[in-house]
Amino acid sequence: MSELKPTNHKAELLLDAVAEGHVAEVLAMESVAGCSTTFDPGWEVDPFGGVASLCQPMEADLYGCSDPCWWPAQVPDTMSTYPGWDAGKPSAPGDWRDLDSVFPKK
Amino acid sequence: MSIGFVKNWTLVAGALLLGMGCHSTAQAAAHASGENLMRAYCSGCHQEHAGGLERISAIRKTPEGWIMTLVRMRQVHGLVLGEEVRDSIVRYLADTQGLAPAESAAGRFALERRPNAKDVDLGPDIGVMCGRCHSLARVSLQRRDADEWRKLAATHVGQWTSIEYSASGRDRPWWQIASGPQPDKLGSMFPFSSTAWRDWQARPARDLSGAWVVVGRVPGGKDFYGTARIDREAGGDYQAHYKLADIAGFEFAGDSKAIVYTGYEWRGSAQVGDRALREVYAVSEDGNRITGRWFDADHAEEGGEWIAIRETGPAEVLAVFPQSLRAGSTATVTLVGNGLGAAAASPLSFGAATVATHVQREAHRIRALVKVAPDAAPGLRTVSAGGALGRLVVYTQIDQIDVVPGYAIARVGGGRIDPVTAQFEAIASTRLPGGELLGLGPVEAEWTTSAFDAEAKRTEDEKFAGHFDKRGRFLPSPAGPNPAREFSGDNVGNLTVLAHAPDGKHTVEGRGHLVVTVQRWITPPIY
Repeated sequence: MSELKPTNHKAELLLDAVAEGHVAEVLAMESVAGCSTTFDPGWEVDPFGGVASLCQPMEADLYGCSDPCWWPAQVPDTMSTYPGWDAGKPSAPGDWRDLDSVFPKK
Repeated sequence: MSIGFVKNWTLVAGALLLGMGCHSTAQAAAHASGENLMRAYCSGCHQEHAGGLERISAIRKTPEGWIMTLVRMRQVHGLVLGEEVRDSIVRYLADTQGLAPAESAAGRFALERRPNAKDVDLGPDIGVMCGRCHSLARVSLQRRDADEWRKLAATHVGQWTSIEYSASGRDRPWWQIASGPQPDKLGSMFPFSSTAWRDWQARPARDLSGAWVVVGRVPGGKDFYGTARIDREAGGDYQAHYKLADIAGFEFAGDSKAIVYTGYEWRGSAQVGDRALREVYAVSEDGNRITGRWFDADHAEEGGEWIAIRETGPAEVLAVFPQSLRAGSTATVTLVGNGLGAAAASPLSFGAATVATHVQREAHRIRALVKVAPDAAPGLRTVSAGGALGRLVVYTQIDQIDVVPGYAIARVGGGRIDPVTAQFEAIASTRLPGGELLGLGPVEAEWTTSAFDAEAKRTEDEKFAGHFDKRGRFLPSPAGPNPAREFSGDNVGNLTVLAHAPDGKHTVEGRGHLVVTVQRWITPPIY
């Protein structure tokens, strides 16, 4: 973290939280088993335990998450594991209703 | 790679099955079939080595863990299995390479799909390595030696190749840690061989057939009780028939078909009333108690507790409905259990300063009208029925409301992904004269939300994220970009949950925290 420089207000807040030792506190308090605790910027919650710093709308960046396998337990990665997940659905903001869960129900 | 390559194996598996606690020749035959099928379908890629198959034979997992393995083999490697073949292989692996009850205990909440559960703590190293994507319960529900854990790290970096570039990967020597000290630590914490597993395999198998007394908890709803008749089929699976009634007296029935994996892991598919349910229960080592969680087949977050004891068991109060009575009140109290005393002359007491009338006795249920004296001292009462003991609390006022869970996640839904609701309960406590808090159980409350912080207030999360129903269940708003929100944001929200429970002329407030967030598209049985 010491080699990274904040380039926006959100990053400054995160740096402050790290400097004050608050990040670990946030993670310990605001995690539910099975939610991602990778906070760049976070899938379910952001580094501050809220949702204000998440990508919004999520759909605008969804394929930017699935292509590089950014949340591999929450979003199907189209890089290796589920290459056809978004086939025929070129726009996540327009086609999100047709994106399916990859784990079979039966 | 020869995907799905089938070898013509002929082997006699009987000798291998000795000591595995098989119920019958039918189960032994199922194991032999499962082993044959595993070798036939898996050995094309997993080479035979030292009497086992590479990787497969070096791992122990829960039934759900093995199901997830086979799904991954299908999705990633194209292994196509018929439903019966898949089920046979899962049974065989769960029975012969499963987890002992003591080994699965810490992670049971994950198998039971309990929403908003606090994860197990495996320390910061494993927390940041595995817990940034998975529940740590998932880690605790596997057994491998260090070399096999090391192969799992290699599998991860091969399959999810950007793993070193996301946060907690790029900011440290990830591969050196993942392939170095971490597998040694995991192999030490969760080794392939264990005394618990050896002892469990040597224990006598239990036949669950018979009559059972049942109690169920329904968070936000009406708890229930009744009986279960469990019958064992020729192949070793079970059928259960339920006759139940909720605490308001509404009677309903249900049926379940269940497989018991590993000698204790009850997995049932039930139809109860008009609901399709799944049952994830554990059978006690003596075979006389079945406990766990049932949940909606399509909404695992919606479910409740299950406790069943054999009708022939020792005297025991399984439940007292309700758990508490106010001084000066009169209410119907129901006891459920064994040995409660069905004869009219059997002793029955609800403790000091209480009077029971209109007593109705059945074999496993007593219902009585209980009047509590207005000047009754608040505190714990011992309920005595026949030879069984239970507990009831007498109180004069509610002093505290705890919102449970105190922190919860709900998810917006729409399109092909259902929303995930969040069920809250208002758990009341009274403060005794000595200062001690005594729990009264769940009480009715009015449920609302407010913005959790200034940012949530600015973005009007309360307006957009969803609403409560009367039973304390938060129903998230629809998914998808919302043009009415800043940046067309989704209907996510960071909310304070407010429960206002009436107590005489006053209300008592409890607070919780709810994050309404986006959907997930990977929903395996273990997160």
